[in-house]
Amino acid sequence: MAKTSQSNMSSWLKQPGVLAALPASLFLLIGFAGPLLLVVAYSFMPSKTFTLLQAPTIENYSSIISDSYYISFFWSLAMALTTVVLLFIICYPIAYGMAKLFNKWANLVTALIAVPILISENIRLFGWVLILLKNGVFDGSMQSLFGLSISGLLFTVPAITLGLVYVYLPFMLFPLVIGISMVPETLKEAASDLGATRWQIFREIELPLSMPGLMIGGILTFVLVLGSLAEAKILGGQAIVMIADDIESAFTFAQNWPKGSALSVLLIALSGIIVFLLFRRVDLDRVIGRR
Amino acid sequence: MVELSEPFLELNGITKRFGNFVAVDDVNLEITEGEFFTLVGPSGSGKTTMIRMLVGMDAPSDGEMRLQGRVMNDLPANKRPTCMVFQSLALFPHKSVGENIEFSMKITGKDKVKRRARVDQLMEQLRLPLSYYEKSVTQCSGGERQRIALARALAFDPQILFFDEPLSALDFRLRKALEKELKDIHRETGKTFVYITHSLEEAMVMSDRIAIMREGRIVQIGTPHEIYNNPKNKFVAQFMGEVNTLSVEKAGENTLRVTGFDDIFTVTDDLSDFTTGFLIIRPEVMKIGRSAADMKNKIKGIAFNDYALGSRVQYQIRIEHFDEPWLVERLQDEPYEGQRGDTVDIGWRPEDSILVSN
Amino acid sequence: MKASRSQNLSRRFIILWTGVVIAFLYVPMIAVVLASFSKQRYFKFPIQSWTDKWYQKAFSSLSVRELLWTSLSVAALVTIISVVLAFFGALAFARYDWKGRKLYQRLILLPIFFPQAVLGLAMLLWFSAIGVITSWQTAVFAHLVWITPIVILIMSIQVYSFDPALEEAAYDLGATRWQVLTEITLPILSPGIISGAIFAFLLSWGNFPLSLFTTGADQTIPEWLYAKMVSGYTPMVPTLGSLTLSSAAVFLLIAYIIWLAISARQRRMENR
Repeated sequence: MAKTSQSNMSSWLKQPGVLAALPASLFLLIGFAGPLLLVVAYSFMPSKTFTLLQAPTIENYSSIISDSYYISFFWSLAMALTTVVLLFIICYPIAYGMAKLFNKWANLVTALIAVPILISENIRLFGWVLILLKNGVFDGSMQSLFGLSISGLLFTVPAITLGLVYVYLPFMLFPLVIGISMVPETLKEAASDLGATRWQIFREIELPLSMPGLMIGGILTFVLVLGSLAEAKILGGQAIVMIADDIESAFTFAQNWPKGSALSVLLIALSGIIVFLLFRRVDLDRVIGRR
Repeated sequence: MVELSEPFLELNGITKRFGNFVAVDDVNLEITEGEFFTLVGPSGSGKTTMIRMLVGMDAPSDGEMRLQGRVMNDLPANKRPTCMVFQSLALFPHKSVGENIEFSMKITGKDKVKRRARVDQLMEQLRLPLSYYEKSVTQCSGGERQRIALARALAFDPQILFFDEPLSALDFRLRKALEKELKDIHRETGKTFVYITHSLEEAMVMSDRIAIMREGRIVQIGTPHEIYNNPKNKFVAQFMGEVNTLSVEKAGENTLRVTGFDDIFTVTDDLSDFTTGFLIIRPEVMKIGRSAADMKNKIKGIAFNDYALGSRVQYQIRIEHFDEPWLVERLQDEPYEGQRGDTVDIGWRPEDSILVSN
Repeated sequence: MKASRSQNLSRRFIILWTGVVIAFLYVPMIAVVLASFSKQRYFKFPIQSWTDKWYQKAFSSLSVRELLWTSLSVAALVTIISVVLAFFGALAFARYDWKGRKLYQRLILLPIFFPQAVLGLAMLLWFSAIGVITSWQTAVFAHLVWITPIVILIMSIQVYSFDPALEEAAYDLGATRWQVLTEITLPILSPGIISGAIFAFLLSWGNFPLSLFTTGADQTIPEWLYAKMVSGYTPMVPTLGSLTLSSAAVFLLIAYIIWLAISARQRRMENR
């Protein structure tokens, strides 16, 4: 018995796919799975300890509920939901254009939208600070053009929302483009031929068939916003505290690793469940390989 | 009763231009109700553009389309009482077999019970198991998918059913079976079918009438019998399959001379208005060897190659002063008795050749 | 006819909207560049007087050079290592059919979906637990965890369109596995590899949340910018911001030209 399972194992290992997968997989096992397990382990240590040798406890989790951390969880979820809805509305027309209308211009549009991803987030957000600042680009233009001062734009919830929409726009747009271009034109023609109106074609054919792209875009941006740190700090100041901010201060300012770990575990679990639900419903071969 | 004499579908001067390119050029056509009408042409002949205009997915640049006397040029596809079976079939992959078939009824808001009853009826008619209602279309076989696409189109209850080469991707046997099935369904439903294909053979099996297209124009319209026996020109004759073609000019009252050579052949056609044209002789009417020795039209050549074509054998005969080899076919069980490389007589009866104009 | 008019209208709307959104993406970056040329110590718009003194200051500053050098070293190392790891990772993702592939596809992408700040903190815990003192080298490791999966994803897009029969044909013609790799697979996939490398370099160059917790006493430019930003305005922030921005742009341009040349050569070969 043992021998056959061993030879099964070695024949599995000899597959070229397994060999190719090995380096990256091993690296992520050490670099990703390891730290993750460590965080989980720390989250069960008593408050403010720096070793893993104490008796495990769930006090960190129970205190999260009493310590009003739920407020920052609430803000993170609310901002994530708002951002996803806004991004969907903003991106759908553009994605439709890129998939169906722009033809040879689509590459240029793709490049123009992709390039900002490669510029440090901090610099781009700082640009918004300059625009929204008192005496900044917007306020200053208003003063010199119309003589009215509009200050107090910075350090508000709308400013954070603007920053989130701004930073994560490509992450909604590109999956959406793939999703929409996965809908064959003939299916829409067939539906039209069978009597469907434009709205019926959208609801019955386009929307369900572009759903994989829509779901990937939606969930990617949702999870990214959930864990975002810089937008709320740079554009929001003290306006609201999002969960990643709480986690950071637990680790650094408060020097309470177990508390920070427990908060991280909750955030990871929340994101993980959402991503897991997505992967169960989407075939990656089809979306990425367009097969 | 005046309406009955009117054509069901009438095309007057239909033209489609893409920039400078004329894809369909001044097509006039009348199709009668209940007919199985097929448009045949090689790729690039304009038949696909033609059917897209008929269905309403492209608008003609010029001309008029009438269905039962009503102009339908500007009617979009979803407002036309016609429906198409697509080349790709265009089955909705996210819907089950049943949901695909009932799509048009759902669109118009028909109630569920009626929808289901009609779907069951169609599935039975097309020999699809009723249990397939819930099955995903992506899991169905090629033949089943054809039937589902047909059922979906029939559920729409179209006045004309269009087909855009739906059988072209199938293997030979399945295609042959479905051709006959389609013909049966045409008979059962009594609907008007308009079919396009690049295979004249396929068209011959199914159609009541055939129109042959070339470079955006209709070259010939007729029943399969008429087209087979009286092809209008060299293009139609050669489109039917391998034939021997000779460029000829009038030599005497019922004789023709091969252009540029001395060979003289006899025909039974009336040559009073004829000057030059092409003589077409099908390989299967040719005789070879002893049986050709005393024929009125005969010529000598070297049998240099033979191919088994299933029920027939094809011989290639090289004739000294012609570029193209001459093709002769005989039944498998009565082959030519000579050897490869032998010089041999080949011949045909005057009434077996076809004379076409340029 | 009515339908086509409304179609034209929605077409125009889509084009206009796309233009507006692209402008929206670039306006803040333009603001940063403008601010770096303002003479005042405090930003005020419209800008009254212009200067390049902040740039002179930046170029002569030793600490700025050190920041640049750290950022560059991290990005270069991350690019090299991630491209090698991801090349094989992408083959496993999209080229080969093997038992366990579906699971691999899902697990390997998880770090992308992971909140970077939390990932950075987890790495900090990890390094302290295994007794490694954090520096720019540990930041390389941290960047790799997040960037390698992204590069795998980017390369996979091209690997999917790669016809495995080409490899088999070369193998059949007597090539060894290594020759197949260097003669067939690598050249054909090179545009995808270069795209992956561009992403790896620039994502590392601009990364902040991971660097923040894993560089220890070293500092990269994005970290420095953040530290200055939250502590109030200084003209060095837009100046250094513009510098990183323009160096990213230059890098992108050069990489794009190389990419164009390689894919043009490939197309020429195919059309020959």
